[in-house]
Amino acid sequence: MAEVRDAHEDILFAPIELTGPGFYWAVAGLSVLILWGAIAYGVQFTQGLGVTGLDQPVSWGFYVTNFVFFIGISHAGTLISAILRLSKAEWRRPITRMAEVITCMVIFIGAGQILVDLGRPDRMMNVLLHGRYQSPLLWDATSISAYLTASLTYLYLPMIPDIAILRDRLGKRKLLYSVLALGWTGTEYQQKVLNRAIAIMAVLVIPIAISVHSVVSFVFSMTLQPAWHSTIFGPYFVVGAIFSGIAGLIVTMIIFRKAYGLHYYLKPIHFRYLGQLLLIMALLWFYFTFAEYLTGYYGAEPEELKVFWSKFTGPFWPFFWSMVLCNFVVPLVCLASLKQHTVGKVLIASLFIVVGMWLERFIIVVPTLSFPRLPFPVGVYWPTWVEWGETAGSLALFALFYLLFTKFFPIISIWEIREGREHSVREVEERILSYLPGEVEEKT
Amino acid sequence: MEHPPEISQRLVRRLQWIWLGGAFLLVGGIIVWIIHLIVASWRLDDVIQASVGISIVAIPIFLVFIGVVFYVFWGVALHGGKSED
Repeated sequence: MAEVRDAHEDILFAPIELTGPGFYWAVAGLSVLILWGAIAYGVQFTQGLGVTGLDQPVSWGFYVTNFVFFIGISHAGTLISAILRLSKAEWRRPITRMAEVITCMVIFIGAGQILVDLGRPDRMMNVLLHGRYQSPLLWDATSISAYLTASLTYLYLPMIPDIAILRDRLGKRKLLYSVLALGWTGTEYQQKVLNRAIAIMAVLVIPIAISVHSVVSFVFSMTLQPAWHSTIFGPYFVVGAIFSGIAGLIVTMIIFRKAYGLHYYLKPIHFRYLGQLLLIMALLWFYFTFAEYLTGYYGAEPEELKVFWSKFTGPFWPFFWSMVLCNFVVPLVCLASLKQHTVGKVLIASLFIVVGMWLERFIIVVPTLSFPRLPFPVGVYWPTWVEWGETAGSLALFALFYLLFTKFFPIISIWEIREGREHSVREVEERILSYLPGEVEEKT
Repeated sequence: MEHPPEISQRLVRRLQWIWLGGAFLLVGGIIVWIIHLIVASWRLDDVIQASVGISIVAIPIFLVFIGVVFYVFWGVALHGGKSED
């Protein structure tokens, strides 16, 4: 049994120990996109925001859409890792690390969108020096800082035993691994301390994550703009964030499963469970979307209806109906039955959802600004190559960060898999027996 | 043998303290920033209750983070490897 385990663990060390041509090709491809983004940003920095499609009244476009989208994707780590860890869902073990890494990387990329949107990044100093807590933008800055700190901590703590394994096993980067492992030797006391710390962080990170996307929604809903001033925007955004987070996680899992040969760890059963979660979130998302638009339509406030019809039949109809197709119709068709071709179906649904959720953010941000309540002329927004470049560069930067992480640390938690084998099988059996009437006396 | 002989234990421990110091610096910096915003709103008589209200929630959260990090450092790095009790 031990030999089988060791042989398969080698798969997890392989990306760290060996670097094949595929890695260099991937880095090269991503670097091209990042270069495009860098050039786009350079042009914008030197010539100003006039090189973008942003103008009055549409002063928020791709950048703010990307910001909301990326912060939403960051909820992958929270849901999959924290909630599943607290609920003792054993199937989480090969998934948690991937989810936590997504969270950390994506928060950086998401927060960076605001810097890009400012046009002049030095104006960030105004937030630091002269910020006013009456502004939801500053609530955002605070809650994202908290989320980033929590997510980094929550990523690092469960990595300590794995870093110690790398320290003892690998012949390279000894100093880095020795420092980060904090002298971990796996004593009972160390394990107790670590488990307690992880549990505290798991409890903390959930309300913080929910607060982050609620606050992101407040940036819109605290204004009196048509189709933004909504009481359900907080939960609506949170549901959308978790929805896109799971989809983003699934896509990442499937890519690395294929690239690193992780089929032994990431089995169809994991994708089936995640697919079921995705289906639930798709239904929930549809419910919120329906409630949001029905309320606006029924109220029939003239300014609200302008935005409403611009989405349903007006200039934004292709985006709106594509969003409905991607976020509801395709997932429903793909995920309704997962008895066969599980991985393929879940992948298709997830890819559509990632696109659909980006469209959803776009559909929230731009139409309202195009048809503002104030007496501006109707705005038209066409992104230029600068915004496309920055968007492509941001996605590529995320992918590159993620790829580089996998070259330094195992992408699947080794010690949690071992723990699952050695302890959890027995624990789960005992737990199930304790649920059943009369089988085992409950300890009080 | 916890570390390979070619790496100085003292260097490792020193870098671990720097690592912990960086965490304190990050969280401390954020707390100082929040306090600065309270002071600014008080000085400008600019709805100080908003700043105080948010800070009451935010600052303890950051303190808990750094508390957890220090607890792990203390428990794992400083005392954890010595005994099995």
